[in-house]
Amino acid sequence: MTLMERMKVLSEGTKYDSCNQGAVCHAFGPDGRCIQLYKTLLTNTCSGECTYCPNRYGRQSAKASLTPEEIAKITWSFYRKNAIEGLFLSSGVMGDAERTAEKQLEVARLLRNQGFKGYIHMRLMPGTPLYLLEEIADYANKFGVNVETTSSVNYSEICPNFDYNSDVLQRLKWTRDLINKKRKEVGYGGRIIGANDTQFVVGALSESDSEIIRTVDDLMDRYELRRPYFMSFNPVPSTPLENNPSPPGWRETRLYQASYLLKDYGLKAFDLGQVYDDNGFLADTDPKMLLAQSHPERFPVNINSASLKDLLLVPGIGPVGANRIIRSRPISSEKELMRMGVVISRARPFIEINGNRQTNLSSFMEAS
Amino acid sequence: MIIAFKENVEGVLLACSQLLDRPDHDLVFAKDLNELRDKISFSGIEGEMKVVGFKPVANCSELAAGIFCKRKSSRMSQRDPGVERYIDLVLRHSSCNPAELVHLICSCAGDANHLYSGKALAGKRYYNYMRDVIRAYQKLCMFARPDLVNGILSVKVDSPHFIGDMFCRWLAGKNPDLPVYVVEKDIAWIGNGHYLGLENFMTVRSSFVEHLSFSREDDEVDHLWDVYYDSQMIPSRRNKRHSKHLQPKSSASVSEMSRRDRYKVERGIASCTLDRFNT
Repeated sequence: MTLMERMKVLSEGTKYDSCNQGAVCHAFGPDGRCIQLYKTLLTNTCSGECTYCPNRYGRQSAKASLTPEEIAKITWSFYRKNAIEGLFLSSGVMGDAERTAEKQLEVARLLRNQGFKGYIHMRLMPGTPLYLLEEIADYANKFGVNVETTSSVNYSEICPNFDYNSDVLQRLKWTRDLINKKRKEVGYGGRIIGANDTQFVVGALSESDSEIIRTVDDLMDRYELRRPYFMSFNPVPSTPLENNPSPPGWRETRLYQASYLLKDYGLKAFDLGQVYDDNGFLADTDPKMLLAQSHPERFPVNINSASLKDLLLVPGIGPVGANRIIRSRPISSEKELMRMGVVISRARPFIEINGNRQTNLSSFMEAS
Repeated sequence: MIIAFKENVEGVLLACSQLLDRPDHDLVFAKDLNELRDKISFSGIEGEMKVVGFKPVANCSELAAGIFCKRKSSRMSQRDPGVERYIDLVLRHSSCNPAELVHLICSCAGDANHLYSGKALAGKRYYNYMRDVIRAYQKLCMFARPDLVNGILSVKVDSPHFIGDMFCRWLAGKNPDLPVYVVEKDIAWIGNGHYLGLENFMTVRSSFVEHLSFSREDDEVDHLWDVYYDSQMIPSRRNKRHSKHLQPKSSASVSEMSRRDRYKVERGIASCTLDRFNT
């Protein structure tokens, strides 16, 4: 295969992987996702037998690989052209996790030795040894292992070659420790050291959204997970899960929204108990709106006296808007709130400004 | 009496200090002393004049701290810049009136939060000016695609606001191992100029950069990018409305590569090409 063909095959292998550096997006795909990194696999030949994966061992498909030099050259070309901010490198398991990580490290080392100042994110294989993680931490901005699911039982079902506790959670712990160490050494001024991150496959098994959110919360507490990524399961022909249905497209979006409530709003998984249905799944509605509707006793919130925590519970008011409100008090009108970035149509039923609030059915009934 | 000030951060802050002491004074602004002389002679202004900002003497941070002293000038949000940067960005907006900006700053009564809250109408307008400039700058950072010609990264830009130098500094910072230049109409900015035996950052006429050369290195990656871009498409998730919002029509005018990306956002990626019939 030519370089172009191999590149196409290996980049297609990462199209479901999410990774945002959080800086500049250079292009957006027709599905609306930001393209800011050159995402590629080192190889799509894999010795793992993950039941959902198109690259699983024994599945017939076009096999390809790129050399570290080829990956470095393509990365440089796109970087110079201002089409990317850096490299996202994943891989199939080349025999074992150690050998794969060595190859990934080779790419990062080559780029850095050539003077590459861009962003490097490495998705490592479960079971990557500590000494390689330590070396990778010297070159990459972000690195981590995917947890894929919520428990060791589920994990052994979809990734039978690896152990959830030792190959994944132990690596998350090491990653957390290395990131904290690097932050002290390098600081934010030198090279940005990202926080721990990981990815879940959503819908491959029957785990509920409440289980996923509980796991995210747990990982945030134990391993300082900053941001979970969610990848919707897509049934791949000639894999054990080929007949499983794919989850609805909105499920991933609602999971992201629920995870932001943990990340940015200071809520915990048990605070979200009311937003799930009887089976523990999210509905196709904003979880924050559901949460507000399920606690009518908390509202209306007085815009001019409410605490930051109470303001954050109002749909249509985010962390930035809540801070602006607190610093700009007294607020006398909805127009002022709109200028501060509050989505007033969402917030109106839940707020009170100078004693005025939207009339609702219950107050009308009380009055009559 | 008239306060004449230069259209830069220092000039605006100095004019604010003067106006706070003498609120009844009129304001005149100019880019340099020549323009100030022209303005004064054209308008026939007479009387005592206090000229500030044309000789760089003041420390902007100290000036800003002196003006916004009543309350700690905390920022409304982490993403909004500090006061000096705010003024710098607003001054780059094509609709900015520096005299109005000075009055706005004085009306804040020492509370920098009024610049960001959007509570007052004028404050909101100037806050939006700042956001417009940031957006235009970010658009360039996102969609401009420099070419590597004779070893120099070069790009032509066209923006409604005065941000060419900002973009050149950003590009030079992203590629510290190469000289870069950014051309906008008849002006060019050179970054990392020390590789060419020039000043590290300088402004020149655009004709000056045409014959610059650093090495023989050229790079042609457009086709490679198209292959990569197409490989990231998930057909079942196509979301035309959302992607059009993120990659707006205006992005197509920034570079040829962005134009092609925008076309694919609009029309989708062809799954069947003429090449397939030949193979």
